[in-house]
Amino acid sequence: MRVLAVSVCAAALVASSPSAQTAPGAISPPLSPRNANYSIAARLDPASRTITGEERIVWRNITTTTATELRFHLYWNGWRNARTTFMRERALGGSTSDANRPAGDWASIDVTSVKLVSPSAADLTASQHFITPDDDNTDDQTVMALPLPAPVGPGGEVTLDVTWTAHVPRTFARTGAIGNFFFIVQWFPKLGVLQPDGWNCHQFHAGTEFFSDYGSYDVTLTVPRQWTVGATGLQRERRDNTDGTTSHRYYQDDVHDFAWTTSPDLVERMARFEHPALPAVDMRLLLQPEHAGQADRHFDATRTTLKYYGEWYGAYPYGHITIVDPAFQSGAGGMEYPTLFTAGTRWLAPRHVTSPEGVTVHEAGHQFWYGIVGNNEFEDAWMDEGFNTFSTARAVAQVYDPNYLALRYFGGFVPWVFRDVVMARETEGNGLAGYRRAAKSDIQATPTFRYFPSTGGNITYFKTALWLNTLERWLGWRALQKIMSTHFDRWKFKHPKPGDFFAIANEAGGRDLTWFFDRVYRSADVFDYGVDGLSASQEESGFRSTVVVRRFGEATFPVDVRMIFDDGERVTEHWDGADRWKSYSYVRPSSIMSAEVDPDHVLLLDVNYTNNSKTLHPSAPKAATKWAMKWMVWLQDCLLSWAALV
Amino acid sequence: MTVTAAWRDGARRVNRAGLVLAGVWVMTLLISVPLALVLRGMIADHLGDSLAADQAASGVNYEWMQEFADQASGIGVTFKPTILGFGAILDNLSAFFDATRRPLVVAAAAAVYIGLWLFVAGGIIDRLARDRAVRAHGFFAASGVYFWRFLRLGLIQLAVYGLLFGAVHEALFDRVYRRAIHDMSVERNAFAVRFALYIVFVLLVGAANLIFDYAKIRAVVEDRRSMISALGASARFVRRNGAAAGLYLLNVGVFLMCIALYGAVAPGASGSGAAMSAGLVVGQAYVLARLWIKLVFWASGAALFQSRLAHAGYVAAPVPVWPDSAAADAILPADDRDLSQTSASL
Repeated sequence: MRVLAVSVCAAALVASSPSAQTAPGAISPPLSPRNANYSIAARLDPASRTITGEERIVWRNITTTTATELRFHLYWNGWRNARTTFMRERALGGSTSDANRPAGDWASIDVTSVKLVSPSAADLTASQHFITPDDDNTDDQTVMALPLPAPVGPGGEVTLDVTWTAHVPRTFARTGAIGNFFFIVQWFPKLGVLQPDGWNCHQFHAGTEFFSDYGSYDVTLTVPRQWTVGATGLQRERRDNTDGTTSHRYYQDDVHDFAWTTSPDLVERMARFEHPALPAVDMRLLLQPEHAGQADRHFDATRTTLKYYGEWYGAYPYGHITIVDPAFQSGAGGMEYPTLFTAGTRWLAPRHVTSPEGVTVHEAGHQFWYGIVGNNEFEDAWMDEGFNTFSTARAVAQVYDPNYLALRYFGGFVPWVFRDVVMARETEGNGLAGYRRAAKSDIQATPTFRYFPSTGGNITYFKTALWLNTLERWLGWRALQKIMSTHFDRWKFKHPKPGDFFAIANEAGGRDLTWFFDRVYRSADVFDYGVDGLSASQEESGFRSTVVVRRFGEATFPVDVRMIFDDGERVTEHWDGADRWKSYSYVRPSSIMSAEVDPDHVLLLDVNYTNNSKTLHPSAPKAATKWAMKWMVWLQDCLLSWAALV
Repeated sequence: MTVTAAWRDGARRVNRAGLVLAGVWVMTLLISVPLALVLRGMIADHLGDSLAADQAASGVNYEWMQEFADQASGIGVTFKPTILGFGAILDNLSAFFDATRRPLVVAAAAAVYIGLWLFVAGGIIDRLARDRAVRAHGFFAASGVYFWRFLRLGLIQLAVYGLLFGAVHEALFDRVYRRAIHDMSVERNAFAVRFALYIVFVLLVGAANLIFDYAKIRAVVEDRRSMISALGASARFVRRNGAAAGLYLLNVGVFLMCIALYGAVAPGASGSGAAMSAGLVVGQAYVLARLWIKLVFWASGAALFQSRLAHAGYVAAPVPVWPDSAAADAILPADDRDLSQTSASL
């Protein structure tokens, strides 16, 4: 009945959607080039954790170059053993715990046959081979090359039949199984993206995600009967088989990936997003039973995303979305796939702490930045992760303000909310602390998969969010929104590159921002402005006050300098921030009281804000005494805890 | 004597020994205040003349706290939001049960503090067991008499607790727990497993603590010199007197009530004026309550033991007398000198 209800709802959506849908998951007219189309039939054997699949791929060359071969991602081979590029990079980043897994917990995907169907029939199975375009690691089998018997020119099309067998791992990078919760993603032999300069089909890396062309997915999944299935798209058909299994057929147009989950334990909830100016969206939530009481929090967060991202950037066009609450220890939380994403919550999830809201808004937000605007996540992950981190923080601040710090104790199970510690969008939401610790670790313009594994995320997510928010504070939200919505509109269902965004920023922002992107994107320099000196002396005509401000970092940005005098007078100077230092001198009836660089905190990338100001009436002794006293009670309690053993 | 009567008697004995309570509080301050002053200096240096101090003084400047944390070393690394209010208690309890390593400076401070407790434990138990004033020289003489015995016992304690917080904890929470939850996909089930293991761990630590407590009590009350025999006697007493465990549980219950009460009134960030002073008073009241409870553990144990195997206030050894120096003896009037010993030795 629920399936029927979903279908009915989806049908009802057609009228209100910008693109008319003729059948569940179908969109007309096409929103994307639809040049990589997959019809897949796959069967899951939970006992052996095996997937056997067959797929028909219809691929059209939409570039101006000729393809002499095809290249496929075989992502699951990234977890085949500890010698793969994924695992080596993970170890380089300091994570070695997975290296000692038992054999059954690793993954594999083996292509058992490849047959060319058109333009001419041929068995290409024997010609498949692995290549390593990113490194010389011959143990890596995550990219398969397949020479074609005849080149495929621009506009040409090939049809292939591929069969494969895959072993489902205990979860790696959100993929796999725990108990009877299966989260199956990046799971089928999948084409890379042909670009004018050749195939863009990277090996699977520890720090980056995915890149694919848009198309239509028609996928039939066979799982044990009574098991709930959630997947990209909408269910078109459900058929009980004689062997105790059920086949679920899902379909979706204009997406670049297909993900699914199945488990007998999932609890299903439905809700609907409605908005006067945006298309309605049916929301399907697949919850863990222990989180059943948190359904509304997931729906509210998804509504927040659909509303604000829709208003700011553009409409969500699919009419439906599936939210998956992954099982404990599944490691599948916080990940995005077209029309489906995983949130992630805890059994004890106090109110006024943005969990699960933060992750839900973020992953739902990826439907816009990643799903609809399909940048290359291997090379320019900041274009979706950074944009989305900025947008998440902005959306969360609209609805979930204030929210507080929560720390977890007793093995991470018991949360405690610190109501004195309010999480600020600009710093916490944008991850300033994380950026500060890794500010110089990589130049953002470096291809993302070449970032240092353990610190790359700070550059991808946080640095981008901070410079976007800096632009918002400097140019104003209307200007930044125009930039981002223009970028969204111009590049939806396409693959933008960094230069495309910068060009739009210059155009829609109404000024040349190249210098700014030179500093934040093409350099690892840090911003750090501060007040170096502050003094006042009495003269005959009044007080002479002198302020010296200094640029401690290498990067430059125009900043305000605000002086406050004892009589309340305020003077604001504008400094281009280019020189290493600048001094200001005033003769006033009153002495200067304080000086502050960037008092409005426009430059959110400043790695040391404490040094941004000086005052002649410092409160540091009071603050230090207060905090030392509080710390002393913690220390005394700590001492007493251990003294209990005497 | 019943469990509740022993507890009441113990509480009464501690209340009558106010100077002992004050003394251990001062001892706690002696360790904590210098370190707090060091941290105060670190914070003041980092804030300097910055306006960021205004917000830090009036409430929480979380951005500054993070900047501070990023450059902190030594005890500075422990300055985190978790020190706020009841979070501080949870942090320490959690660290205790999860055997979390603390920074070296904190561990060193704890070691010195435990050493001081070892020194005064004999004096405290002697005072509480006698249930009458022994004056300072009596207290410290008893502390000195029992220190070497308790130091030997402390080595055994170190070995036992080292085993419990080391190998046993690792076996329970790194091996048993991980194996038990390896394929568990329901968080509350995993928590139930962890909770059960906490109970096992607490029972083991509690049992050891109980036996060590009665070993100290028996060492003082019966003037035992062998700590091995004191431990054996303690174990026999605990085994034959279920009330000992019951009393221990009652004391644990009082401790938990104290924690809960503090949870209700624990001061948050507050400002730097009167609220800061009020926060300090509440914090120190909590510390005093914890110290009081610790003393009641010993006092009530002594009361129970005396009621079962001796009588109230019984201590085998006479009140230790601070020995006079030879010089003092020399200037005493001849009539007051104890010549019998001299004669005997002659």
